[in-house]
Amino acid sequence: MKLNRRAVFGTVTASALALSLAACGGGDDDDSGSDGDMVSGEIIGTGASFPDAYYAAAIEAYADVNPDLIVTYDAVGSGTGKSDFGEGLNDFAGTDSLVAEGDGPEEGAYQYIPTVAAPITVSYNLPDVEGVQLGQETLAAIFQGDITSWDDDAIAADNPDLELPTTDITIAHRSDGSGTTGNFTLFLDEATDTWTLGAGDTVEWPSNSVGGDGNTGVAQNIQNTEGAIGYVDLADATETGLTFASIENADGNFVQPSLEGTTAGLDGAVVNDDLSYNPLNASGPEAYPITAPTYILIQTEYEDADKAAGVKAFLTWLLTDGQEIAADVHFAALPEGLQQQALDTLNETIPD
Amino acid sequence: MTTLTNGTPPDLTGKNLSFKRAAANRAATLGIALCVLIAAFPLGLVAYQVISRGGSAMSLGFFTEEIARNYRTEGGGMGPAIVGTLLITGMAALISIPIGVFGAIYLNEYGKTSPLAKFIRTMSDVMTGVPSIVMGLFIYVAYVVVIGERNGLAGALALACLMLPIVIRSTEEMLRLVPDELRQASAAMGARKWRTTLGVVLPAASSGITSGSLLAVARAAGETAPIIVTVGLTYIYKPDLFDGANTTLAAQIYRNATQPFDASQERAWGAAMALIMIVFVFTIVSRIIASRFAIDKR
Amino acid sequence: MSDDPLDASSADGVFGRSATEFGVTALTTTASPQVPDDLDLGGDSRARGTDRGFRGLVTFAGLTVLIVLALILVTTTARAMPAIGHEGLWGFITGTRWAPNDDIFGTFPMLYGTLVTSLIGMIVAVPVSIGIALFITEVAHLRLRKYIVTVIDLLATVPSVVFGLVGVLVVVPFIVEWYQAFSDLVSPIPVLSSLFGPANTGQNYFTAGMILAIMAIPIITSIAREVFDTVPEADKQAAYALGATRWEMIKGAMLPHSFGGLVGASMLGLGRAMGETIAVALVIGGAFHISANMFDTGNTMAAVIAQQWGESTALHTDALVGIGVVLFAITVIINFAARGIVRRAEIQMRGSNA
Repeated sequence: MKLNRRAVFGTVTASALALSLAACGGGDDDDSGSDGDMVSGEIIGTGASFPDAYYAAAIEAYADVNPDLIVTYDAVGSGTGKSDFGEGLNDFAGTDSLVAEGDGPEEGAYQYIPTVAAPITVSYNLPDVEGVQLGQETLAAIFQGDITSWDDDAIAADNPDLELPTTDITIAHRSDGSGTTGNFTLFLDEATDTWTLGAGDTVEWPSNSVGGDGNTGVAQNIQNTEGAIGYVDLADATETGLTFASIENADGNFVQPSLEGTTAGLDGAVVNDDLSYNPLNASGPEAYPITAPTYILIQTEYEDADKAAGVKAFLTWLLTDGQEIAADVHFAALPEGLQQQALDTLNETIPD
Repeated sequence: MTTLTNGTPPDLTGKNLSFKRAAANRAATLGIALCVLIAAFPLGLVAYQVISRGGSAMSLGFFTEEIARNYRTEGGGMGPAIVGTLLITGMAALISIPIGVFGAIYLNEYGKTSPLAKFIRTMSDVMTGVPSIVMGLFIYVAYVVVIGERNGLAGALALACLMLPIVIRSTEEMLRLVPDELRQASAAMGARKWRTTLGVVLPAASSGITSGSLLAVARAAGETAPIIVTVGLTYIYKPDLFDGANTTLAAQIYRNATQPFDASQERAWGAAMALIMIVFVFTIVSRIIASRFAIDKR
Repeated sequence: MSDDPLDASSADGVFGRSATEFGVTALTTTASPQVPDDLDLGGDSRARGTDRGFRGLVTFAGLTVLIVLALILVTTTARAMPAIGHEGLWGFITGTRWAPNDDIFGTFPMLYGTLVTSLIGMIVAVPVSIGIALFITEVAHLRLRKYIVTVIDLLATVPSVVFGLVGVLVVVPFIVEWYQAFSDLVSPIPVLSSLFGPANTGQNYFTAGMILAIMAIPIITSIAREVFDTVPEADKQAAYALGATRWEMIKGAMLPHSFGGLVGASMLGLGRAMGETIAVALVIGGAFHISANMFDTGNTMAAVIAQQWGESTALHTDALVGIGVVLFAITVIINFAARGIVRRAEIQMRGSNA
């Protein structure tokens, strides 16, 4: 075993050496070509799991653009991402929620950079029933356990044309703390007066519920449980082949979750000075009401100039060419205005 | 009744057994055998699932290539995670097994029933019950935050904390089984206690200690929660445990299994298979070593 | 079946246990003469120094456990104080609402879940492990024994995350119908109907308990085997000589003699079960209520830390660390209780021998 390990170590060291030599060679070429854009090094981001699928795809694509800058995104959760940011454990943090007191990052030490947004679907499992529409009040009543059966009058009122079964409702929710839960409950909290469970990353769900690990876990639970209803991000819901409900938006229209509807929602949202914005229940006839924004936190002052250059290079790409990948992985790109705003802020925060 | 062929336990032919006793005996034997099947079933299920689903992910590239950054794309390998698993678990074993074995020597050869030894014994039992994530949090607070980065060594320290009590308690059990006659014989030959302990007692218990330590290593290699908290993530080879974020197979299983994409789930099963293979090879090799060094086989 | 007890004590190959032969002679234990600690047959002072040095070294190694535990306890308690102070220690442990949004942190639902799942795990694992250990030591042929030992060792090497993976992707989806069928079956029976109520999902206390059982079996089995080896061969032979069947011999000679050791083995298994994190987090269902229905979703203390750690901030994080502290305290209590049981059993045994 000892021998084995040494052998493995040997090959690894050798290959690592070869890699780093190759990397150096590449770097030299770039310098001689006086291409200032090609930053090298390694930057690490930790945080939200909600945009992980997008960042993973973006990082892969970026590796082709600039193989010398190794970007790693570790989806440990927004909370951990923020506290890592405060402890200086990462170079940038991903977060679905805004920074609150006690989260870690100090006032003035961070800047929000919005990256993408995504709709949160309300998916259900009723064989032979398609096109369920749910009003905002009905949605709240279902998810706080006031409505426990699919043939309830409130659901029937939203769906005059549908034949609804007597199946019991099982709520599928996240068992782990999650920004998806946070945004979904924030929507119910803001949009309705009747929602009593509050808004947050962890909510006290009623007893007719089952928790799943991650969006995937929730999607699987919906798939496996007849009568289940739950909130899942569009990427996971599409991948798992779930059926979505149409949700009533601020203008009173029932809208299917879609990337266009999400971008419409972003257009209708008011952007604050610090680039934070709230796209939930935004106005607009086509706007899908349950839309989750996600941000990257960057430091206002980086101690290491290389890290600063790396973060800037990656984010600049993410806000330009990187936006085109978003739709492929079921995330909505930012509207052009917000894109430009984010780029300007990035350039101000990290000057060349 | 029972088909006792050689009849060595005297007069157990069963002819003069009452029906009730014979039935009880047979039922008990059956029940005992059933227990083995109950334990074998989950192993079979896991083996079948992992091999059938993980097998298709296997290729030479899977063992050597860097980890795919994107969950959706096929290809890429688990090379860095395999190296990370070996190095981090190996380092954890390097830290915890010597300390654990020496600690057990203290308990069984020196401390015995002294209050301190009893206390240490109780506390190591308590320590086996500390959830792995709490060990991770402890290292996070005491090491990661202090040095300002997640790295492989932090993972090794967390795993070492997990392994330590298991190694101590299992080693002590094994040392206890070494007959006092051996110690007395060694002492009678004029050997000092430390020589007796290292030269006679420890070798006599070596195979048992190895298998106990293996339980600990196996548990550590599959730990996920402390790795996520302390080690971070990387896609590239990181042979230096002190050089920034690293990764292990267990963490990759968890990371990929929680994605809905076929490519990533296949990677998760592949990583599971690779992890089991590593632990399996390790087990067999250590067993052979142990049996060669066991004093009773000489 | 070759169940000759003398045969059982002979060595087996690579997968065997070396101490077996010693088991025969060694463990008439309690009475066997000890080498005095301070035995000094002279020798030069350098050798004596080495001895002292070695003693110091191993003592320090033993103390490492205490040092690490103390560090864990201090760092985690300090971190958890804000949350525990917020609720009061009693409120933190007995509170039945876990609502991080409203800064309400009552851990009783998780405490309950931990106890229930561990109990289910132990109810399954302890008898099964003892059965396997008996099969290996008393029933199996030499060759068969080798295979079984291998199977159990392999079971121990399967990483918990793999059990979680198979549990959540393979077992959970189909087992829910079995649960429901069983629930329907027992619905007329008073107590069982409330214990095994309707099953909406395969993620529940029972599934988690089963996974814990599978994880505890190898640990308990391997120690139980060692314990059974300590049963004096003379006792076994005596039982056979009196005409006992194998089962009667096990019941009369082996189990009473091994009781203390088996409790100790179970405790180690329980320790593993209570601390298991990821596998349980995947199959427990993540609900914060207290239900007598074993087919209901729930949560355990270790699992909730893993589930919520990533998205927790401020007081919520402190409360999660606080759960770790409480879990730690429970392990201490259970261990001391187990020690009490073992001591009492030993006294009883000695009494009957005398």
